[in-house]
Amino acid sequence: MTDVGRHPRIELMTLSEVVDVQGYIGNFRVKVLRKARYVDEKECTACGDCLEDCPVTKPNEFDLGLSTRKAIYQPFPQAVPAAFALNMEECLGNNPIACGKCLEKCEKECIDYDMQDKEVEIKVGTIIVATGMDVYDPTELDEFGYTRFENVVTSLEFERLINAGGPTEGHLIRPTDWQLPKRVAFIQCIGSRSEKRGNPYCSNVCCMNTIKDSLLIKNHWPEVEIKVFYMDIRAFGKGFEDLYKRSKAEGVMYIRGIPGDIREDQETKNLFLLAEDSNTGKVMEHEVDMVILSIGLIPSTENSLIRQLLTLSRTSDGFFMEAHPKLQPVDAPTKGVFFAGCAESPKDIKDSVTQASASASRANILMSAGKFTVEAITSLINEELCKACGLCARVCPYHAIEFDKEKKLPARVIEASCAGCGTCGAECAFDAVVMRHFTDQQILGQVEAILEENPQDKVVVFACNWCSYAGADYAGVSRLQYPPSIRIIRTMCSGRVDEKFVLHAFKLGAPIVLVSGCHFADCHYINANRWTQKRVEKLWDKLEKKGIRPERLQLEWISAAEGLKFAKVMKEMEELRQGVTLEEIDYTRKEL
Amino acid sequence: MAEEANFKCLRCGHQFKAPFSPKDEPQERACPECGSNSVRRIKEKAKKK
Ligand SMILES: [Zn+2]
Repeated sequence: MTDVGRHPRIELMTLSEVVDVQGYIGNFRVKVLRKARYVDEKECTACGDCLEDCPVTKPNEFDLGLSTRKAIYQPFPQAVPAAFALNMEECLGNNPIACGKCLEKCEKECIDYDMQDKEVEIKVGTIIVATGMDVYDPTELDEFGYTRFENVVTSLEFERLINAGGPTEGHLIRPTDWQLPKRVAFIQCIGSRSEKRGNPYCSNVCCMNTIKDSLLIKNHWPEVEIKVFYMDIRAFGKGFEDLYKRSKAEGVMYIRGIPGDIREDQETKNLFLLAEDSNTGKVMEHEVDMVILSIGLIPSTENSLIRQLLTLSRTSDGFFMEAHPKLQPVDAPTKGVFFAGCAESPKDIKDSVTQASASASRANILMSAGKFTVEAITSLINEELCKACGLCARVCPYHAIEFDKEKKLPARVIEASCAGCGTCGAECAFDAVVMRHFTDQQILGQVEAILEENPQDKVVVFACNWCSYAGADYAGVSRLQYPPSIRIIRTMCSGRVDEKFVLHAFKLGAPIVLVSGCHFADCHYINANRWTQKRVEKLWDKLEKKGIRPERLQLEWISAAEGLKFAKVMKEMEELRQGVTLEEIDYTRKEL
Repeated sequence: MAEEANFKCLRCGHQFKAPFSPKDEPQERACPECGSNSVRRIKEKAKKK
């Protein structure tokens, strides 16, 4: 961290908040609110003179409230820059000045109560999101008594307790009597791997953190008895299994079962854990002096704000979604934006460093080239047809369409931002959007070719490139049979499927039309398939108004791995097709 | 109480209630009977007072 602070080509903006991001890859304009530090960070040497007289005492956030700090403070010992900051909301020295003691004490005159927040705009080519995570609050899991028993602490609090720079200078103590606990219990998966309370995912780091902590205790205090209550120990990284074995060899007891209840002896403050060991089937009560809840990692509360600023999407667990889970694991769907660390998913230090290095390299490749090759699949606006209604800009998941409402100028596609989903093309009522390689003409041409002969025997299926079409592919390689009546038209995204494609198919005698795309969480174009759903809903209403059964237009989300589902849905489509009469088809042709 | 709406599956015809509010972001829906995503919200006709 100190190296980053010293690096001549890295500008560190601490106490700062990104408030707005405009532009696109290579040309981002970022507005940053630089909050007033009230201390000159270049002059302050963190000598600590000002601390002595500050009358305000607050819980120290870095030590999770296990120690205190003053209103003027350094957030943590190795903080960069090595300068103090003054929390003006806590300070008594300003407006009207009631205290001013730090000001008097500082010989270098670094303190300035009149400093103001400043908004600055910076221009950057690429952005790396490394905003970290939060930790699970175990209060709701009341059976573990986190808020009721003082000797129940979280793994993060324990981390501070055994840290040499922490509130106890690294001496292992339990909170009630400040004595060395002789029996310690760790409970794993607190807030992780649970469908009911907490989160369904595995938080990745907690098992190894407990193993590390258990070894640390054993190294310094071999007499301490340690019990680890777990569901499964996940020690899959390099050297991790060895550490696990070492921990067991040191005498740490691993009990497969999570305690259902903890109670406290009011006199001794010792804790009694009732747990079933699923390996032996025995229910036993364990008396310990201290319990450490191995809490999981959760997405940062700031993620929703960052998501809006950078047009990102999130997976169902709330962490940011990468552009491709295997092939672009550090890229965001928005070009020029990358991820590092727990913003993307819970991970340990090694994985975070690996991902950070990958992100830095990905960004560097772009920055040193200074140019960026865009895919040919982008949209283009036909200025003569554009009525400047702005609908295309509204639906673009990437904000890649510029549009001036006041001047009523034709819309303009920023090709560097356009990802080629084609949602704009489907939305434009004036045919002013040309979606290259997937033009209206090309798609309508395919519809016509399919329905040229015996249209009553065909099912027209629109399938998105990434999921449904890949699902069809998977069904194929798995040798799953589906009816020969199915005719597939590929689009990049289901969001490309224009109302008129569907209506044209019905007009030409299609008995059934299916629109299929990725599941909501998998959409490769952030949220373009939400528009697919809206469009299909509108079409159902429209068909019904014209006396056409809405059932003839079907919608399905099929992922690339769902070959089986693809085949099943196609069989259902064929069954539906057989239920459509020639009279119905004739009526539809006349009506549309 | 959470707002609810009536839905109809356009694959198997099953009708069901599910949480819905026009203010919510669109969600992926599936028929609880057949699993199909062809789920249509049945808009209630304006009620007469
Ligand atoms: Zn159904």
